[in-house]
Amino acid sequence: MKFLVNPGKFNEIADYIFKPLLFLSFIFFALGLLFSFYLSPDDYQQGSTVRIMYVHVPSAWLALLTYAIMTFYSIMALAFRIPFGFIFNTAVAPIGAVFTLICIISGSLWGKPMWGTWWVWDARLTSVAILFIIYLIIIFMNYSFENRIVREKVIAIFILVGSVNLPIVKFSVDWWNTLHQPATISKLSKPSIDSSMMTPLIIMTLAFIMIGIAIAILRIKTEIISRKSNLS
Amino acid sequence: MKFLNKIIFFYFREYKLNMSGVQDILTNIIFFFVSIFIFIFSIGPDKETISLIGVGIVWTLLLLSSTLSLRKFYQDDFENGNLLIIHLNGLSFGFIAILKTFSHFLFVQVPFLLSIPIACVLLNIANDKLFYLLTSFGIASLTLSCLGSISSSMNLMNQRNYLLGSVIVMIFSVPIIIFSVSIINMEENFNSLINILFGILLIVFAINPWASGLCLKLSLENN
Repeated sequence: MKFLVNPGKFNEIADYIFKPLLFLSFIFFALGLLFSFYLSPDDYQQGSTVRIMYVHVPSAWLALLTYAIMTFYSIMALAFRIPFGFIFNTAVAPIGAVFTLICIISGSLWGKPMWGTWWVWDARLTSVAILFIIYLIIIFMNYSFENRIVREKVIAIFILVGSVNLPIVKFSVDWWNTLHQPATISKLSKPSIDSSMMTPLIIMTLAFIMIGIAIAILRIKTEIISRKSNLS
Repeated sequence: MKFLNKIIFFYFREYKLNMSGVQDILTNIIFFFVSIFIFIFSIGPDKETISLIGVGIVWTLLLLSSTLSLRKFYQDDFENGNLLIIHLNGLSFGFIAILKTFSHFLFVQVPFLLSIPIACVLLNIANDKLFYLLTSFGIASLTLSCLGSISSSMNLMNQRNYLLGSVIVMIFSVPIIIFSVSIINMEENFNSLINILFGILLIVFAINPWASGLCLKLSLENN
């Protein structure tokens, strides 16, 4: 597991797994789109709009997961002085921001036919919007410091302080009465979703994870090269 | 005793600095009142509308005007080297952050606390709501000072994009605003909401010395 903390080892492994990963993600995307458009049933209440779920839910999960991994890497980087954590934070923040944006946009496209409005000031929606702004602040911080050492450590501290938002996003549907529905799958008891809808959701989630890892590998490699040549 | 002397001298110095620049504090307060005028002009002088949204206006403007003075939080001391000298006198960076937070609370937030009653008269807010407003701001202003300390210490070396500091304070003050305004608007479960506000204050107060101290140390090392 040394390739998760060592840039040289990471480069070696990344060269091996990048192309298979990209190929697999395309296959899973094709399969997932096929399943979600043709092989999964309509919802008895929502009709065909339930298919937005197959984009909305994976991107929301990945937005949270990306931030959680960034928090983990920030702790590693600050506590154990592992510079790969800083490289990871710089490279991966835009990916998380894009996933959050996909989640917000697909959610509001889903909300218009179901709730009758593009946006409500609901606890879940607001906390996800705050998550998006936190991602944006991290990206802007990357461009506003002259000194690289100060910049990456300040960003890591900011990520740690901002991670208080994560449990708020996750539990907002339980703590407050929200229009957004509570968790269906990621809860302690058995998932209350039918397997015919669960299958495309899992396939799409795998596809999203793979494309996310592939883009992350590209960005981390670019970041390592630019640090080696002292461009940033 | 020696340690206490250091703290007393620190606050004496802060007092002198703030009194020599007392017009800055007054400018903050003038900004607060002028923005209230602007709000009233843009909404219209209808009394019922104003008293309906008055609490929200007061809170928004308190937040905005207390972020105005963020640049003064550490930046002056950092640039003329006083921060390093205070540290060399034996105060750790985390402790400097705590002392600075209280000094910001005393010299920037307490004047707002005094000017809230006048704002309530201008915005037609009922007298019984004034008590809740003062209580919630008394707790939340210390939280805002802690957040200001964190964000301004993060942006010490940031020469290009200083507005980022205000954005950081504003994004983390969302829960404070939500709970403070709900204290004023629904008066029955006063105690539980005050407890939540205190909880937020304690969390931020615990994070503050660690985060600001680390950022101060980083900026001084790499300056």
